Amino acid sequence: VLFPTATFAIFFLVVLPLSWLLMPRGERWRPFIVAASFVFYSAWDWRFVLLLAASIVWNQAFALAIHRRSDATKRKRLLALAVAGNLAVLGYFKYADFFLTSTNNAFAWAGVDVPLEARSVILPVGISFFTFMGISYVVDVYRGDFAPTGLGKFAAYLSFFPHLVAGPIVRPGELVPQLDSPRDPRYVDTSRAFFLIATGLFMKVVISNHLATSIVDDVFGAPNQYSSLDVLVGIYAYAVQIYADFFGYTNIAIGLALLLGFQFPQNFDSPYAAVSVQDFWRRWHMTLSRWLRDYVYIPLGGNRGGRLLTYRNLMLTMLLGGLWHGAGWTFVAWGAIHGTALVAERWWHDRPGYVARPSTAWSRAWKRFVTFQVVCFAWIFFRADSFADAWDIIVRLFTAWGEPSQLVTGGVLLAIAIGIGSQYLPRHLPLAVMARFSRLPIPVQAATLSLALLVVHALGPEGVAPFIYFQF
Amino acid sequence: MADETHDKRTRKPRGRVGEGGRKLHSAGSAVVVTTFALGLAVLLNAPGVHKSATIQQEGWKRDLALALTGPLKETSEALYLDQPRRGLKALAGRADDDDIDTGVAVPETPAETPVTPPPKRKITPDRKLRIWVAGDSLVIVPGQSLLRAIGGSPVMEPVSEVDGRIASGLERPDVFNWFKEIPKRMRKDKPGVVVLMFGANDDHGFMTGLPPGREIEGGFGSESWEAEYRRRVGGLMDTVTRGGAYLVWVGLPITNDPAQTARFDAINSILVTEADKRRGRVSYLDTYFFFAGPDGGYAEYVANARGALVKMRADDGVHFERAAGDLIARQVLKRLHQRFDLSSWRRDAAPDG
Repeated sequence: VLFPTATFAIFFLVVLPLSWLLMPRGERWRPFIVAASFVFYSAWDWRFVLLLAASIVWNQAFALAIHRRSDATKRKRLLALAVAGNLAVLGYFKYADFFLTSTNNAFAWAGVDVPLEARSVILPVGISFFTFMGISYVVDVYRGDFAPTGLGKFAAYLSFFPHLVAGPIVRPGELVPQLDSPRDPRYVDTSRAFFLIATGLFMKVVISNHLATSIVDDVFGAPNQYSSLDVLVGIYAYAVQIYADFFGYTNIAIGLALLLGFQFPQNFDSPYAAVSVQDFWRRWHMTLSRWLRDYVYIPLGGNRGGRLLTYRNLMLTMLLGGLWHGAGWTFVAWGAIHGTALVAERWWHDRPGYVARPSTAWSRAWKRFVTFQVVCFAWIFFRADSFADAWDIIVRLFTAWGEPSQLVTGGVLLAIAIGIGSQYLPRHLPLAVMARFSRLPIPVQAATLSLALLVVHALGPEGVAPFIYFQF
Repeated sequence: MADETHDKRTRKPRGRVGEGGRKLHSAGSAVVVTTFALGLAVLLNAPGVHKSATIQQEGWKRDLALALTGPLKETSEALYLDQPRRGLKALAGRADDDDIDTGVAVPETPAETPVTPPPKRKITPDRKLRIWVAGDSLVIVPGQSLLRAIGGSPVMEPVSEVDGRIASGLERPDVFNWFKEIPKRMRKDKPGVVVLMFGANDDHGFMTGLPPGREIEGGFGSESWEAEYRRRVGGLMDTVTRGGAYLVWVGLPITNDPAQTARFDAINSILVTEADKRRGRVSYLDTYFFFAGPDGGYAEYVANARGALVKMRADDGVHFERAAGDLIARQVLKRLHQRFDLSSWRRDAAPDG
C-alpha cells in the first residue's frame, strides 16, 4: 500500500484507534500490530508475507541461540550463519540476475560461451530494509549491546508497518524498548506528527512528482533532444526529486509512527546544505549511513589501521552502499564517486602541514556549492540506466549551450527552489510552526490539516508514482 | 507489554510540553483530528476523488467508490466547498483535470486506400519530418529511444516529448480521452509521422463512451466488444492519416502472463487488419517475436549478437527496458526510411565534383 492513497487512509483510520484501544494490553496489541503490518505488506504481494515471517523466525532463533551460548567460537559461528542466511536471501532476490548476467557477459566478452540463464526473480518490496534490521538485531545481541526480546516484540519491531517498506532503518535499541511498555495515551506529539505527514506528502506528491514528469524523465530519457541548460537543470531537478521523494516518505513514516505513539530516528538533516561529502553522509539517509558505519566500516577496521587501510575501508563501505541501492554497475559507480570524494577529503585533511582555516560565510558557501556539484555529478550515474546513458548526459551537458530550452519552466525552477531552499530554513522556524499549531483548538487543527491535504491533492498529478526507494 | 497495564487514571491529564514548546495532545485528539481532517479533505477534493473513483477498473470497488463519492461531490458543490480546489487547479493551469469526458468522436467512414502506394516524400533540413509519439505507458521507453535515435538527424525532429499517459487506452476515454487529444494535436502540431502504441490497458471488457444504444455483451473479445474496439482503432487511424501524417502503430509484446499475452494477441489481430485496410498510410509494427526466448515463450533477458545477455523487459513482465526500446526504435526508423526519402538531400547538398 502506498502512503498517499485512499486505501492507506482507510487502513490507517481503522488501525489508529484500535491500536490505542489495545495498547494497554501488550499481549493483545502485539498480535494486532503484527497482523496489521502483514495486511499492509500483503497488499503488495501476499506471497512475500511468508518471507517476512521467515525473516522474523530466523533472526529471533539465532539471536536466542547466540545469547544462550557462552563459548565464543560457537557464538561467532552462529552469528556468521545468521548473517549469511540474511545475505543469502537478499542475494537471491536482489542480486541473482545481476550476478548471472554479469558473469555471462564477462565470459561472452572473453569469447567463452557459458550460457547462464537469468531467472526473472521478483524483488520483494522493502527486503533490503528488513534484512538490515534483522542483521543489526543479531549482531547487537552478539556484541552484548542488546538482550534478545520475545518473539512477539521482535515481530512487532521488524514488521511495524510505518518503517517496513522503505525505512528508516530503526535499530533494536531504539524501538524495542518502546515496545516494552505501553505508550502513554495522554501525551502524543500530534502537532509534530501532522507537520511531518503534511510536509512529507507535499514533498512527495507535489515537488517530487512534478519534477519527475516535467523535466527529469525527459532529460534522462533522451538527453540529445534537449539543450545543455535543460540537462543541467534536469540533473539538479533529479537531486531535488530523489530528496523530496525519500525525505517525504520518511517524514510520513515518522509522523505515522508518532501518531501511534512511537519515535523513529531522524533520517535527513538538510543534506544539500552539507559543506563536504563526509558532512553529506551525516545528513543523507542517516539511518543507513550509521548502519554502514557500525556494521561494515568499523568491522572492516574503520580508521584503526593507518591511512591506507582507512581509505580502503571507506571505499569498500561506499561501494557496498552503492550496491545496496541497486543491482547494477551504475550504482557501484555512484558509490565509487562518493568513496573517492571521501578518501580525497580525508587525504586533504591528513596531509602533512595541513592547518584548518577558520570558517567564514564565504568559505562555507563555496564548500556547500562544491559539495552539491559532486553529489549531483554522482546522481547522474544513480539515475542513468547504463554508463552509455550517463555519458550521453555528461556530453550533452557541455555541447548544447545556446540551444533553446524546452523544459526549464517557472514551475520547475520553483519546485527546485522549494526543495533546496527548505534546507536552509532556520531550524527554529518549523519548531515555531509546530508549537503554534499545537495550541490551536482541535477543530482548527483538523481544518488546517484538511487545507494542507487540499493543496497536496489539487497540485499533485493524477495517480501516485511509487516511491523511488521502494525498489531498494 | 503483557503485564504492564496502566493504572486507572481518573485525574484530568496535566498539560505537557514537548520540544520547542509544543503542546502534547491525547491519543483521542489524534484520532479526532485525523478523522475530521481526512473527512473534510475528501469534501474539499470531492471532484478529484470522484474522478479517481470513476476511472478505476470495473468491479465492486468501483461501484462502492462511486456510490460514496457521487453524493460527496454533490454535497461539495452544493456547499461551494469544491471552489478552492477549482481555483488551485486553474492557478496551476490544469482547470480541466477533474472533468470526465467520454466522447468518442472518430470518422465513421474509412478513407479510401490508394491502389498504388504513394511516392516517397523527400525530406530536407528545410522541411523536416516532424514526429509525434503517443500512447499508454508502454510507449514511453521506445518513444524515448526513438527521440534519442533522431537526436542527431538534421531532417527529423520530435514535435514534443513522448506523450505516454499511464493507465490510458482506447477503452476508457474517462481515464484519458485520446479521441479528443489526437485530433487536437494533429491540428496544433501538424506532425508528418505519428507513432502510436495502445492496448496494454484495454484487455478488459469494460468500455466507456459507447454510442447511445450500444452495449458490450459478453465482455472482452466478444463480437460487440470487437466491433466497438475496431471502430475506435480504425477511427484513430483515419484521424491521423486524414490529418496528413503517416502512422506507425506499434503492436503489443509477449508478456510473462500467458493469459494476458492471449488477450494482447486478440488486440493485435484487430490492429493488423485495420492497418492492412489502410496500407501505405498506416504501418503495423509487430513486436511479438522481438522478445520471445529460444522456446518461443516470454524472455526477460535476450542474448545480443555478441552473446551478452541484455535485459529487455521490466520486472512487471509487461513494460520495456531501454534495450527493448532501442530495438523498437530501430524498427520504426526502418519503416520511416521505407516510406520517406531521408537521405537524398545529402547528395543534393554535396558540392559538385
